[in-house]
Amino acid sequence: MAASGLAAPTRTEVLQLYRSLLRVARQFCDYNIREYTKRRTIDAFRDNKNLTDPSQLSAAFSDGKAQLEVAKRQAVVYSLYAPKVKSIMDIKPS
Amino acid sequence: MASKLLLQTLTRRQPTTIIRRFSTAAAVATPPDYEDPSGITMKGVKISGRPLYLDMQATSPVDPRVLDSMLPYYLSRYGNPHSRTHLYGWESENAVETARAQVAALIGASPKEIIFTSGATESNNISVKGVMHFYKDKKRHVITTQTEHKCVLDSCRHLQQEGFEVTYLPVESDGLIDLDRLRKEIRPDTGLVSVMAVNNEIGVVQPMEEIGIGALYMRRRPRIRVEPQMNGGGQERGIRSGTVPTPLVVGMGAACELAMKEMEYDERRIKSLQDRLLNGIREKIDGVVVNGSMERRYVGNLNLSFAYVEGESLLMGLKEVAVSSGSACTSASLEPSYVLRALGVDEDMAHTSIRFGIGRFTTEEEVDKAVELTVKQVVKLRDMSPLYEMVKEGIDIKQIQWAQH
Ligand SMILES: Cc1ncc(COP(=O)(O)O)c(C=O)c1O
Repeated sequence: MAASGLAAPTRTEVLQLYRSLLRVARQFCDYNIREYTKRRTIDAFRDNKNLTDPSQLSAAFSDGKAQLEVAKRQAVVYSLYAPKVKSIMDIKPS
Repeated sequence: MASKLLLQTLTRRQPTTIIRRFSTAAAVATPPDYEDPSGITMKGVKISGRPLYLDMQATSPVDPRVLDSMLPYYLSRYGNPHSRTHLYGWESENAVETARAQVAALIGASPKEIIFTSGATESNNISVKGVMHFYKDKKRHVITTQTEHKCVLDSCRHLQQEGFEVTYLPVESDGLIDLDRLRKEIRPDTGLVSVMAVNNEIGVVQPMEEIGIGALYMRRRPRIRVEPQMNGGGQERGIRSGTVPTPLVVGMGAACELAMKEMEYDERRIKSLQDRLLNGIREKIDGVVVNGSMERRYVGNLNLSFAYVEGESLLMGLKEVAVSSGSACTSASLEPSYVLRALGVDEDMAHTSIRFGIGRFTTEEEVDKAVELTVKQVVKLRDMSPLYEMVKEGIDIKQIQWAQH
C-alpha cells in the first residue's frame, strides 16, 4: 500500500534505527518500560532479519521509525514524573 | 550570593546541571511525604525501593504507546465529542469513532455494537439489570456462577429483591462450570446466563485484556435490548447517557489495536514467565497448590496456596513484591475469598493463597526475584512452625484433636 512508493532502507539505515531504538530504551527511567523497549526492539529486528521483499522491508522500517518517535516522546514524559525512589529491581545489592 | 550561584551555573554549563534543576522543580511541585531518596515508609513498612509489581489482575500499567495516543486529547484536542457546532467536537467525535472501530476489530464485532461505559461494573449492571428489566414480562430467571465478580452477583441480588429468580451455579474444584449442569438449569423463562470469560482471582478459562475503562458489546442480530441504567443526554444510543471521555476512549482503542498486534508475542512470553514462576517455586519447596485449572487458565495468572504457613505472615514478609491475597484481610475479619471457597479450598489454604499477575512488562529477573523472596519467606515460616515439624515426621495433622479452651 503506502509502503510500495517508498524505497527499501539500506543496511546502514536499518542498523541506525536499531541503535537509536536501543539508545532511547536506555533513557526510560522506569525499569519495566526500559527493559520492555530493549527486549521488544531486539526481538522485532530478529524476527524481521530475513525480510527481503522491498515493500515489506520499507513497511517494517517506517513502523520502526514511528515507534522511535513515540519512544522519544514518552521517555521525556516518564522522566518528568519519575518517582524519587527507584524500583527494587534497579537497586544493586551493596 | 545569588549572583555567585548564577555565575557558577553559567561557567559550568553542563547539561546535567540543567536536568537536575528541572527535576528539583518537579519534586517541589508534588512533595510525596512518604518518599525520600533512601526509601519509602508507608503503613509502618519501610522498603528501600518500589516493589516489583505482580498484581496485573488488579490493574496494569498503561503502555507508553497508549499514553502517547491519549495525551493530545488531554492537551489541545479537548472538545466534547457530542458538540456539533465546531471543530473541537468534530475531531473528538472522529477520535471516538476510530476507537470504537479498534475495539470492535479486536473482538470481531461491528463498531455499532460497541457501547463505551466506565468499566466492568457498569457494563455488567447494564447487562444483568438492563436485560432483565427490558424483558421482565416474559423472562423471570437468571443463571450465573458462584465465582462471578461482585458487580454481577450484587446485580443479581438486586433482581432477586425485585422478585426475579436467580440460580448461582457451583463450580468444580478446578473453578470451571459443568456445562451439563448449566443446560439442566435453563428454563423457558431464563432471560440471561451470565458467566465470566476469565476469572479475576484464579485466572481460569480464556484470555482477555484488562483495561481501566470499559466497553460493552451488544449483539445486534438477533438484537438484544436493555433498559438504560443511566438516563440523560442519550449518548451511546441512549444505552449509556453521559459524555464519552475522549482521552480514555482513545486510549482503549489504541490498547485494543496494540493487543491485536502484540497478542501472540505477549502470550508466548507471559506463558514462559508463568512456567518459570511455578517451576521456580516448586523446585525449592513442597506443599504448593495451584488454585484453579492449570489447563484452562489465562497465562498471566498464577494463584498459589502454601501449606503449613500463616497467611498474614507470608504477605507481611513479601513487602517487596506487590501481589494480592486470597483472603480479604480487613482488620475486622479474616474472611477467605468467596471464589476460593466456591472451589472447595480449605480455609487455611485459602488464607495462604497469593495471586501472582504477570503482564507485558514483567521481566524474567522480576519473576526470579519473586521466586527467591517467596521461597525465603515460606521456608522461614515453616522453620518456625511446629505443624510443619509434625508433618515432616509423618503425623497427619487433620487427625489431631485440638484441645478446646
Ligand atoms: C472480573 C471483574 N469484573 C468486574 C470488575 C470491576 O471493574 P470496574 O472496577 O472497572 O468497574 C473487575 C475489576 O477488577 C473484575 O476483575
